[in-house]
Amino acid sequence: MTEKKEFKCRIVSKEFLTPDTAYIGIECPEAASSAVPGQFVNISCSRFLKRPFGVASVSDDGRILYIGIKVVGKGTEELSGLMPGDEISMLAPLGKGFDLTGFDSYILVSGGTGVFPVNFAYETLKSSGKKVAVVQGFRNASQVILNDPSFVLTTDEGDAGIKGTCIAGLDSLDLNSFPNAAVLCVGPIPMMKAAGAWAEEHGLKCFVSMEQRMGCGIGICLCCIVKVKADNEDGYVNLRCCKDGPVFDYAEVVW
Amino acid sequence: MVSSIAVKVGSLELKSPLILASGTCNFGHELSEYYDLSILGGISSKGLTIKPRAGNPGVRVAECRAGMLNSVGLQNPGVDFFIENDLDYMNTLGCGVIVNVAGHSEDDYVTMVTKLAPYKDKIDALEINLSCPNVKSGCMSIGTDPNEIAKITSLLRSITDIPLWIKLTPNVTDIKSCALAAQKGGADAVVLINTMLGMAVNIRTRRPVLTNNTGGYSGPAIKPVAIRMVSECYQVLDIPIIGCGGIESAEDVLEFMIAGASAVEIGTASLIHPACPVDITAGLEKYCAGNSLDLKDLTGTLQLW
Repeated sequence: MTEKKEFKCRIVSKEFLTPDTAYIGIECPEAASSAVPGQFVNISCSRFLKRPFGVASVSDDGRILYIGIKVVGKGTEELSGLMPGDEISMLAPLGKGFDLTGFDSYILVSGGTGVFPVNFAYETLKSSGKKVAVVQGFRNASQVILNDPSFVLTTDEGDAGIKGTCIAGLDSLDLNSFPNAAVLCVGPIPMMKAAGAWAEEHGLKCFVSMEQRMGCGIGICLCCIVKVKADNEDGYVNLRCCKDGPVFDYAEVVW
Repeated sequence: MVSSIAVKVGSLELKSPLILASGTCNFGHELSEYYDLSILGGISSKGLTIKPRAGNPGVRVAECRAGMLNSVGLQNPGVDFFIENDLDYMNTLGCGVIVNVAGHSEDDYVTMVTKLAPYKDKIDALEINLSCPNVKSGCMSIGTDPNEIAKITSLLRSITDIPLWIKLTPNVTDIKSCALAAQKGGADAVVLINTMLGMAVNIRTRRPVLTNNTGGYSGPAIKPVAIRMVSECYQVLDIPIIGCGGIESAEDVLEFMIAGASAVEIGTASLIHPACPVDITAGLEKYCAGNSLDLKDLTGTLQLW
């Protein structure tokens, strides 16, 4: 079944959310209309390997896919400089996304570049009518992006929202109003560990989206491994973040 | 005359010189989502070992200016699982089926080939990996010693008549002596080259980027090294050469073939442009038609100064 391809597509919008975080729209109806929250795209730049970004949103007409680019190196610096009209080469959508139908309500937790895929999950859940809460964790007020007044905002420095980590935000929720809930978390490893532990304490399932240095993004190089518990001699197997994930069950990951 | 891009590697006829290199295509499932693999001459399986291997921990990939380092460490499901689950699938792809065999010792290689020999109807060639740089014993440590290469090749030769391709490491002083040793042992072909041993350093942490410290360097940067080795070996060998190293385009394939390769393997390029063999195939067909020649006639036509 040869249904996937590498797309040549155009940038149609671009804005900076913070001085080092760009938000760009890519016109690619085939990818935009099939992408689900938690999936990512892999984009060529002048460096050797492509760069992976979580899908942050898709336009209502299903033609444009949005990603956030935080500058962390030369590749992301170059890609953050893309302008409307520029053409890129992209593999998309990649990986397995979140299960957004198996639970009655959802508690979304995000930090860092995790706010992008969580934004897409939030939009999708909201339009499907599910009960959903969003807890965002940032270092300080200047880092806050893709925020909505309905979200629970936390900052380490306390200059916006609740002072503390995302756990302080989670503790502020009235869990009685979230029947049969799942926690979905995308953020730095310490945040995902903490959110997963919090979910377990409260008897909730937690799914996390892992990040690893990737080679191909399509499951053929076996570079981006995530250790997952297994009933074998080693007690674990190395699964591919890009193909078997990036979404994993918190309880199955060897942290 | 209709020009053809079909080639022969010894007695094995391939419809195209393009083979997917081991470790860059798994067993074909993922790439077959991007294009019909039946356009290929063949596909070489992920390197297999007797038991399943989890591979190396931590960071396994480091990007370089014109290529990448990897230290996957032969993560694979083990040969028994492969025979049970993937071998038949590879046979449905409509291209040559090459099984890559790795090991830690002579005994490992013998056991592996003994297990695979009964499936000779489903295997077009066994690619004996004497060149993986990312495991602590076996592979490259065997493949740098011509005596060991000859010994292990002749041992395996005595077990099976499936074509034996010996995949050699470039991390040696004299590649010719290694290739000749494979030929002496009874190999049907040599595959030149596997990755070059390399390292990348994180200047902030002052640690190697790869958790394994070193890794195998692949990509366009190593192409000139591979071409040189193919050319050197072509001049002394009687058996065919499969060229491998940094191929991204039809022009790269032609370079390898003129230098002496009968077929080629595409590796790292698939990681970046999964369907690149489609364009490369079109480029080769155009070249052959434009020059009214069969691709196989190009092998070794290099005229040295």
